[in-house]
Amino acid sequence: MSHRIATHHPEPILIRVDGAEVTALPGEMLASALLAADQPVFRADLEGQARGMFCNMGTCGECFVTVEALGRPPRRLRACLVPVELGMEVWRG
Amino acid sequence: MSGMFDLAIVGGGPAGQAAAQIACAAGLGVVMLDEQPRMGGQILRQPPSTLGVRDWLPGATYDDLKAQLHRSEALPGLDWRGGVSVLGLFRDADGFQLLATGRDGRLTIAARRVLVAAGCYDMPTAFPGWTLPGVMSAGGVQAFLKSQQVVPGKRFVLAGTHPLQLLVADQLRKAGADVAGVHFAQGLGAMVGQLLRDPLLPLGNLRPFRDAAAAFVNLRRAGVAVRFGQRLVRAIGSERLEAAEFADGTRIACDVLATCYGFLPQADLPRQAGCAMQRCERTGGLAAVIDRWQRSSVQGLSAAGETTGVAGAEVALREGRLAAIGILLADGLLSESEAERRAAPIRRELAKLQRFADLLARIADPRTAIAGLADDATILCRCEDVTRGALIRAIRATAGPEDASALKLVSRAGMGVCQGRSCEHAVRALLAEQGAAPGGGFTARFPARPVAIADLID
Repeated sequence: MSHRIATHHPEPILIRVDGAEVTALPGEMLASALLAADQPVFRADLEGQARGMFCNMGTCGECFVTVEALGRPPRRLRACLVPVELGMEVWRG
Repeated sequence: MSGMFDLAIVGGGPAGQAAAQIACAAGLGVVMLDEQPRMGGQILRQPPSTLGVRDWLPGATYDDLKAQLHRSEALPGLDWRGGVSVLGLFRDADGFQLLATGRDGRLTIAARRVLVAAGCYDMPTAFPGWTLPGVMSAGGVQAFLKSQQVVPGKRFVLAGTHPLQLLVADQLRKAGADVAGVHFAQGLGAMVGQLLRDPLLPLGNLRPFRDAAAAFVNLRRAGVAVRFGQRLVRAIGSERLEAAEFADGTRIACDVLATCYGFLPQADLPRQAGCAMQRCERTGGLAAVIDRWQRSSVQGLSAAGETTGVAGAEVALREGRLAAIGILLADGLLSESEAERRAAPIRRELAKLQRFADLLARIADPRTAIAGLADDATILCRCEDVTRGALIRAIRATAGPEDASALKLVSRAGMGVCQGRSCEHAVRALLAEQGAAPGGGFTARFPARPVAIADLID
C-alpha cells in the first residue's frame, strides 16, 4: 500500500473519482491522490489492458483523465499536473 | 510586465534559474514558464506549498542548487508563470510568440529572445509487460517522493543501467518503502573498468559519484540487495504489476518496478522551431546543437541544460549562465571582452564537468541492456498501442517507409498525445536494426504538449 510522508498537511478533502469518494490533500497532484489511495489503474488501452502512471512529469500522457472542478467546464488533463481541489470530479478512462 | 519581454525562458530548473539571475540583474524583462506550479525543475521539484516537509532533499548535492532556487524565486523583475505548458514557438519580425496553455486555457507570450532549458525525461524502455500499472520511470517514482511526499507503492524493484537508481532506492528506503533490490544490467567489472579508463579523474570531488557511492553503502548496510549483471526481461501481472523477471529466471514480487536506463533531452520546442539537432550516441535522444554562447541555429533562440544533451544539473546551471551572458553580448549590454572575461571561468568548470558527464554516460550506457528486450507483441508506441511486430511488418512491406516519419504515417507510432517522446528512440533503433534508414526522427509538430482543440479556437 502506498503512503504519505509529509510531516504536516492541511485537513484532507474528498474528491470523486468515477463516482466514488477518494481522500486527497489540498495542493497535491491528482495522480498522487490516486496512487496514495492504492488506485494505480488510470485507463484501459485498445486491447482492454490496464494502464497506469508512467513518467509523472507531464511527458508521456498516460495519466490523462477528465477533470471537472467547481465553476469550470470538464477538461482532459494530465493527472500528474493537476492539483486537487475541493469538489473535484474525475473520470478515468 | 506585459507586452514584449526581452527574454522568455522555458523551464524553471537550474539552467533557467541561472540564466534568469544574470538577465534580470542586467535589467532585462524576463518571463519564465514551467509546467510545474513551483520553480525548481525535476531535480528540485518542490512539494506543494500546502505540505510541511522536514529536511527536504538533504545533502550537499542539493544545497547549492537549493540556494540558487531560493534566490531565483525572490528575483525582482522575473515574471514567473508556473503550471503553464508551452505548445509552440513561432518566429515573427520582433522575436517570438510562445503559445501556451494553463489550467484555464490559452495564453500567448511575446519575447525578443527565447531560452529553452526544458530539461530531460527518463528514457522509456520497452519490454514485455512494461505497460502494466506499477511499471514507472525511476524519475517519476522519485518525483512522487520528493515533490508529492507520497511513497507510490509498497514493494519496489529498481532495474536499469543508470546509477541514479541507487539514489532513488536510498530515498525510497529512507521514506519507509520496502526496496526489494536494485539491479544493474551491466556487470560491476564493466562499471569499474569505465572508471579506470580515466584514472586521473578525481571522482571523490564530484557529487554525483560521491552520492551514488554513499547511497550504495547505505543500501548495503540496510540489507537492500544491489545486484550487478542482472538484466530485467519482463514485468508480470494481469490488472497491475505483480513481479519483475530477470534474465536468469529470478522473479521478484513487487507492486512498483522503477526503470532507470538514462535520460533523453526535452527538445520538442527547438525541433519544432527548426533548430539543428544532433543524436545522443547512447540513448538515441535528439539534442539541440548550440554554439559557444548556447545559441541554436535559429536566430534569437538559445538552449541550455539537458535540452542540449544530458549532462546533469551542475553542467546545466553553468550553461544557463553562459546563455545569459551570450544574450547580454548580443544585446550590446556587454562588450566582447567583458563577456569573454565572465565566461572564461564558467567554460573552465564546464570542461571539467563534461569529462565526468561523459564518464557517467559511458557507465550508464543502456544499449546492450535494452537490445532485444521487446518481443513482437511488446507495445513500443504506448499512445497508439503499436507493437514491435506491427512496426516490423510495416517496415518490411513492399514500398516500405523511408524513415521514422514515413513509418509514423503508415503505423500510427508516434501519432499519439506524447508526440513520439516515448517511442521515437525505439522506432529509430528498430528501423536501423531492420536495415532501414532512421532519418532525423519524427517531424516535430505543434503542439509540444497535449491541448484541447477548444483552447486553440475559442
